[in-house]
Amino acid sequence: MSPRGSLERERRQAYLLVAPAVLVLGGVALYPILAAVWLSLHRFILVFGERRFTGLENYAYLLGDSRFWAALGNTAYFTAVAVTVELLLAVPLALLLQKASPGRGLLRASVLVPWAIPTVVSARLWAWMFNPEYGVINRMLPGQDINWLGAPGYALHAAILVDVWKTTPFVALLVLAGLQGISEDLYKAARVDGASPWRTFVSLTLPLLKPALLLALLFRSLDAFRVFDAIYVLTEGGPANTTETLSIYAYKTLMRSGDFGYGSTLSVATFLCVVVLAAVWLRLLGREETAR
Amino acid sequence: MRHRPGLGTALAVVAFLTFFLGPFCWQVLTSLWPDGELTRPWPSHLTLESYASVLWGRPFLRVVLNSLWVATLTTGFCLTVGAAAAFALAKLEFRGRGLLLSAALAVSMFPPIATVSPLYLILRAVGLRDSLVGLALPYATFALPLTLWVLTSFFRQLPDELYRAARVDGCTPFQAFWRVLLPLAAPGLATTAILVFIFAWNEFLYALTFLSTPEKRTVPVAISLFASEHREPWGEIAAASVVATLPLVALTVLFQRRIVSGLTAGAVKE
Amino acid sequence: MFALGLAVLVGVGGCRREEAAGEAAGRTRLVFKYQPLWGPPEPFRELLARFERENPGVELVTEALPNASDLAHQFFLTSLEGGARDFDVLVVDVVWVPEFARAGWIADLSGDFPPERLREDFFPGPVEAVVVEGRTYAVPWYLDVGLLYYRTDLVPRAPRTYAELERFAREAMARTPGLQGYVWQGRQYEGLSCNVYEALWGHGGRALSDDGRVLLDDAPAREALAYLRGLVERGVSPATVTAFSEEESRRVFQEGRAVFMRNWPYAWSEAQKPDSPIRGKVGIAPLPTVSGEPGSGALGGWQLAVNAHVSPARRKLAARLIAHLTSPEANRVLALSYARNPPRPAVYEDPRLREVAPFIASLLPMVERAKPRPVTPYYNLISDVLQSEFSAAVAGLRTPEAALKRAQRQVDHLMGEGP
Repeated sequence: MSPRGSLERERRQAYLLVAPAVLVLGGVALYPILAAVWLSLHRFILVFGERRFTGLENYAYLLGDSRFWAALGNTAYFTAVAVTVELLLAVPLALLLQKASPGRGLLRASVLVPWAIPTVVSARLWAWMFNPEYGVINRMLPGQDINWLGAPGYALHAAILVDVWKTTPFVALLVLAGLQGISEDLYKAARVDGASPWRTFVSLTLPLLKPALLLALLFRSLDAFRVFDAIYVLTEGGPANTTETLSIYAYKTLMRSGDFGYGSTLSVATFLCVVVLAAVWLRLLGREETAR
Repeated sequence: MRHRPGLGTALAVVAFLTFFLGPFCWQVLTSLWPDGELTRPWPSHLTLESYASVLWGRPFLRVVLNSLWVATLTTGFCLTVGAAAAFALAKLEFRGRGLLLSAALAVSMFPPIATVSPLYLILRAVGLRDSLVGLALPYATFALPLTLWVLTSFFRQLPDELYRAARVDGCTPFQAFWRVLLPLAAPGLATTAILVFIFAWNEFLYALTFLSTPEKRTVPVAISLFASEHREPWGEIAAASVVATLPLVALTVLFQRRIVSGLTAGAVKE
Repeated sequence: MFALGLAVLVGVGGCRREEAAGEAAGRTRLVFKYQPLWGPPEPFRELLARFERENPGVELVTEALPNASDLAHQFFLTSLEGGARDFDVLVVDVVWVPEFARAGWIADLSGDFPPERLREDFFPGPVEAVVVEGRTYAVPWYLDVGLLYYRTDLVPRAPRTYAELERFAREAMARTPGLQGYVWQGRQYEGLSCNVYEALWGHGGRALSDDGRVLLDDAPAREALAYLRGLVERGVSPATVTAFSEEESRRVFQEGRAVFMRNWPYAWSEAQKPDSPIRGKVGIAPLPTVSGEPGSGALGGWQLAVNAHVSPARRKLAARLIAHLTSPEANRVLALSYARNPPRPAVYEDPRLREVAPFIASLLPMVERAKPRPVTPYYNLISDVLQSEFSAAVAGLRTPEAALKRAQRQVDHLMGEGP
């Protein structure tokens, strides 16, 4: 068979192979997303019984909506802190998982447990542990009971802790992937040169880990930005909306107030923010790839 | 000079173990705690009454089976569709590769809450509302992007020579995929399977909205039904969540080697 | 291979038609969507079976919803907006009726349940909540009312004014260190709105003006919020009350660690359980007020409505089911077996009720005075604003004046817009 014919055949088979995925994504996922975008251009509040096209009016309102900006701020803070803490914990954890340290097998097995528990369940579990009167956390801390879920300063950090608990293992695995890509020879060379473990880590390991770290940052940021379950179970966005993230604001607008128009606008806005975030990380990732 | 595992390492291991397993152990303890004593610092005795009421008082085993069925369907669907597409994306030349991956990523970034109403209408239209099979469809759709990304990067790591050699031997692209590359992708498939399974098992929003009859309930929805109008039976909820989580924990523990190697094997250089 | 799978999926799905509640061999299947009642299943099943006996040809099916009001609301929003026809009778929370009626999701029941007759048979509070613009849209099924719980062994009697409550609490706290004075629900959720409105009514305020405006930025509201915040600042209530919902406050009270509690009637049976530390030491009373007159508790509870999307024939049957489930006899069953408070005054006089469930009978004076939160179709639209501004005031993030000003502005804006 001629090379050109074989290429043609490859192309045709490729289309066949991806067709199911495209069908499913296009058929099932595309419609709701387009519907949401379409709704975001309407004023559609169930209880008013009206539904009319208003173009970009909702978006104009969004730009001036202080509650949106507050939610965006909470979400950004949550994402930044959660992802940073997760990375800071994941790197030592990954190092531990890689080494032939005692308890590695147990660590490996147990590290996936938080990730396996349904979020709704683990959020309730933490809510119970954070209970100001009976929660085990306050019991273990000396001094006055901390109002974890009812004081504006603490509540968001309680939610961050839950998220860190749940997803650090996943990030650690991504970092471990990066660690395992670093050739053993490089370490040997460093030892021959007499470099201390810390020096090796900083000058050798970290730079080579950058792509893995950026990938972890990408996935985690995208997820953390859309956090909903944990916070909703812990505080429902309270007190006084200080833990309200974009997803919670969108949920309340859609499902409590019955404002499908503006709720869709909020969802699209969240989506756009996530897209921007992804673009930034992908750009950084791309630069790393070409730099190597 | 080898780096001796010292005290610092041991302490770090213990710290991590406590952090990750601690809350889960507390959950198990809560499920064995007598209900009237839940507010005391420590139980006076352990009891299985919460488990009894969860397993016999409510049709919880049925619920677990439902979740198992939906999660398995979703996983099977995702792996089938995803592996085929991922192979093509990784190894074959065709237009629109980058577009498909980006589009898939975009789909997974959209807030699910805004998709509930339109999806409800779709499912009603095709008559798949209140059916476990119908639930698996949106699950699979929204798990597909992750599947595509993980499997594509996995297939990319497999040497091109394998594929080309198979083609030279006279295989069609599909045969090369089916006979040569797919078996090698087993770790990646295992990882993806676990990821998708857990996603489908834990999903709540769609399960609540699209299913209505009691026989079809899945685990997260069933747990949400435990609470009475104002009362929240902590002990029973803890017991139910332990029962609900055990299959997942068992799966992850059993497959943890596969999962770790699946996520990391792609990076191993020759 | 895959195409086959997809075809099977669609084929299987296509076999299930949306009209699941259809005709089968001459029987009509009525679907009742409700929240599970805690307690022995037999009495309720018998109630349903009796309806089937009296209406041959009807098969009753029940489907459960989560008790969390938000989840149920979300479910109904999605399915009713999507034109669902697979359930006939549904439970609606007390604040949803105007909203669902406005949206055209629940049927007008004035034919079978004229408002005048409702006003004769039921308490004024629930009737106010289910009659929208002179037409009946739902029938009260059971109700809840906010109560004051107090420790009979720690205070001489139930306090009648806020000042008395604080005085009794402090005296008891002085005698027994480690005791909390007054626990209530201060978390940002609907329960907080109930607490705030009770305080508002206790300070002589009204929820709605005569022309339907939600009154927030006026003296009684400001005083009410200042009072609630003051409880925390003065140490009568723990600072952690801002994280409390019903269960948290109940557990504190039930452990014997609080002198007073505001909660719904369900907490009574919990407190009287054999292993409860406060068994036999609890009393209930109307909430206190500024003037000393018995206060009004917030009205809670659930009503029954008919899905407006189903056919007229089914609607007639559904109305009959509602009549059956809200009959005095059904009220009695719910009260005796499931501790659900009847919305019919006559049932409280029933000797059987007095004998077997004296607690429910004793609720009569409180139930009579129960008041609904603002009855407006826009309640769910504005409840978000109310919750967050009330929470801001109670948590000390904003002064009551500032919070209420903001709330009023936003609420007026939301309600002023639209047709």
